[in-house]
Amino acid sequence: MTILDWLKHAFDYMGGAQDDPPPGFGIRVEHWWFWAIWWAALALAIYVFSGQSSKFIYIDF
Amino acid sequence: MSSKVGILDAPKRIFILALAGIVLMLAALDREVARLSRNTIPRWTMGRVRQSRGAQAIALGNSLIGVGFNEPSFDAGMGVGKLPGSINLAMGGSSGVEQLLMLRYALEQGLRPRTVIFGFFDFTLTHPLEYSTRDLIGNRAMLYYMEPEYARRYYHLSPHDRAEFEIMRHFELFEDRGTVWERVELFRRALAQQGMPPEKSNSMGRSVDFAMLEYPSASEFIAECGRARRNPLIPSIREIALQAEAAGANVYFVEMPMPPDHVHLFYDQPQWSAGYRAHLREMLGGIGAQYVDASHWMPDENSFEDPLHLTYAGAQEFSRHLGEYLRRLPSGETKN
Repeated sequence: MTILDWLKHAFDYMGGAQDDPPPGFGIRVEHWWFWAIWWAALALAIYVFSGQSSKFIYIDF
Repeated sequence: MSSKVGILDAPKRIFILALAGIVLMLAALDREVARLSRNTIPRWTMGRVRQSRGAQAIALGNSLIGVGFNEPSFDAGMGVGKLPGSINLAMGGSSGVEQLLMLRYALEQGLRPRTVIFGFFDFTLTHPLEYSTRDLIGNRAMLYYMEPEYARRYYHLSPHDRAEFEIMRHFELFEDRGTVWERVELFRRALAQQGMPPEKSNSMGRSVDFAMLEYPSASEFIAECGRARRNPLIPSIREIALQAEAAGANVYFVEMPMPPDHVHLFYDQPQWSAGYRAHLREMLGGIGAQYVDASHWMPDENSFEDPLHLTYAGAQEFSRHLGEYLRRLPSGETKN
């Protein structure tokens, strides 16, 4: 399995498209903290990049 | 039966624990945004106010006066000598409401200036303020935390945005989201600059962005002069004049120096010079404020670093000239 295949498998697993993790993948989606981190990370990404849709003509640096 | 209940309970438990974990992480993020925004421009300016209680003059306005008002040069022009001089409370990208709040904060902190200067350009004094929560970023974020109920009297929000505002103002995460977005924006611009010719920019931002704040043509500007002549002063601007006067200050509204192209294309039109400007003079005179037309004071385009802002040297020259001008005005000696 190439690194890319492994990563794809890992993301598929985390996204729910695969039932089993790739070999050596230590995180189990049954853990509550996985979901807490997962959704918090997604919320953070949305938060950080949502400013792109604002009227950011200029900024005081 | 009991095993079935156990299977059903497991996802529920995971969901509740995960939700609690998310809330904890978002609370940590909220605290981090609060830490990052401790020195935003409004908070930094408030800090300066607390350290400048003896200031004899206050300058208010947006970035034009933020960059264009040089305190030592103005003080030299006013001839204040060793007395406490002026303080520049102008903030880039701010409107009359934020400037009113900053004036009120200064007065509340015990400042009793003899002079209040408000610098403006184009239709700042009469253009109605209609916001959405999307607009309340950058320096306007102070509307969330500085007398928010009072400030709401002076700008309009839709019912949807009012509800959103009420929720957002309790979380630093939302209040000062611009602090995070600024960093992302800077990073994005740095990436966009890779392998490209350098863009002209200054302390306030990219020069090209400020050109967008000008009217695209003289005909549109003239048309706006016609509409604006029917508008009263916006309430926040009126309050700035009235509250400063009530505190014993002489109030001057300064039509800021603009580059020769802007002056020629827009301000030399009779619809501005004899129409809208006369309308402003009359309205400001009616509430005891004075109008200073400084738009032609800096005829050299090299005194400007972009389509709106003075260079540092230009700001020094303008500020000294303004100080000298106000010192010569007889009304400058009538109060206090």
